[in-house]
Amino acid sequence: MDPNPNDIELLRSMLAGDEGALALLYRRRQGSIYRFALQMSGSKTIAEDVTQEVFLFLMREGYVFDPARGSVSAFLLGVARNHVLRRLRVEQLLAPLGDDSDDDVQSLHPSTDLCPLEDLTRAETIESVRKAVLSLPSKYREVVVLCELQDISYGETAEILGCAIGTVRSRLHRARALLLAKLRPPVEAEDAATVKSARCFA
Amino acid sequence: MNCERDEELLTRGLRALAEEMETLKAPDELETKLLEAFRARAVVVPIARKQLHSRYWLVAIAAMLLIAMSIVVVRWRASDVNGPHQTVAQDARQNKPDVISKPSEDPVRDVEYQAVNAPGKRPVRKPPRHAALRSPENTQLANHVTNEIATDFIPLSYMNVASLQDGGQIIRVELPRSALANFGLPVNMDRYNEKVKADVLLGVDGLARAIRFVQ
Repeated sequence: MDPNPNDIELLRSMLAGDEGALALLYRRRQGSIYRFALQMSGSKTIAEDVTQEVFLFLMREGYVFDPARGSVSAFLLGVARNHVLRRLRVEQLLAPLGDDSDDDVQSLHPSTDLCPLEDLTRAETIESVRKAVLSLPSKYREVVVLCELQDISYGETAEILGCAIGTVRSRLHRARALLLAKLRPPVEAEDAATVKSARCFA
Repeated sequence: MNCERDEELLTRGLRALAEEMETLKAPDELETKLLEAFRARAVVVPIARKQLHSRYWLVAIAAMLLIAMSIVVVRWRASDVNGPHQTVAQDARQNKPDVISKPSEDPVRDVEYQAVNAPGKRPVRKPPRHAALRSPENTQLANHVTNEIATDFIPLSYMNVASLQDGGQIIRVELPRSALANFGLPVNMDRYNEKVKADVLLGVDGLARAIRFVQ
């Protein structure tokens, strides 16, 4: 047997009943799936559940994987994406978030500086970015998670999402604009309101 | 200028988030659970697959049997449609030499005989649908051995075609000559009191299904 088999070989061996192949494939791919689910949902519980569901799906219906359509990694992340979105829809129905998430993200920026990221410590930056990412609509969040956080190429992201590369690019551009808008302090808005009021009085 | 700096800071923030989360992984017990699930599944799946394969074989065999049966039925029906003509032709072949070689000793008997055997006037009744089921060997043997001339089997009014599928029996009887008239055959009034030979086809239930007259 190949000492370093690729994912497709491992998948085939696993489907043939090789437990070692499953263990190796799991160890190789569980991290990215878990992180993707965690970054998409912000919940460790959901991330664990999704990771488990993805590999259970692979055990049950791994034969549906088509090497012509992409890599095993992209296939697994595509399955994970479907599970995450389904789970988030359920969670949303149970506890609608509304605009609270946006408020939470903005409230993390007490600084009045126009470029707050400069003054934030690394931990604060990470936390604020994480919350900003989580507050994005899912179609923008997933491209940020895949392209920026998971460092996956546009082409593979397009395979995972089942869309064109151009769509990935445009969504990523829009997502970054939204993130910047969310990370800007609310002071700007207050200033703008003040200016408007002044104009009114003028 | 600020926009570029914001973009750069955003990129740096995203990268920092990615680096921080890079070490995250699913808990170890998840792997244990999955492997247990895999083992449990591994016990079940091969059996299910085996059943699936055997099911495919069964379906394939059933399909082949169905095709074979349909071919047999189609051929049987085709032979059934052609059967009566062949029977008549065979009977004609069997009867023809006898008709030719039959000496005309008795003119009245000849008339009666010709009325029964003449191809044009002969009342060729449509044989029962399953006339082919009767034993041709017996019929041919009887005609051949005894050199007898016989009409076709005439179905009796209460004959049920389905009842012949289980087979039957031919019994030689003698009937009053007047019985010929009951089947639309001409009767020689001079020999009205004489007996005429007939073969009666009995079903398995013992009921007469068809009759043929023999000379």
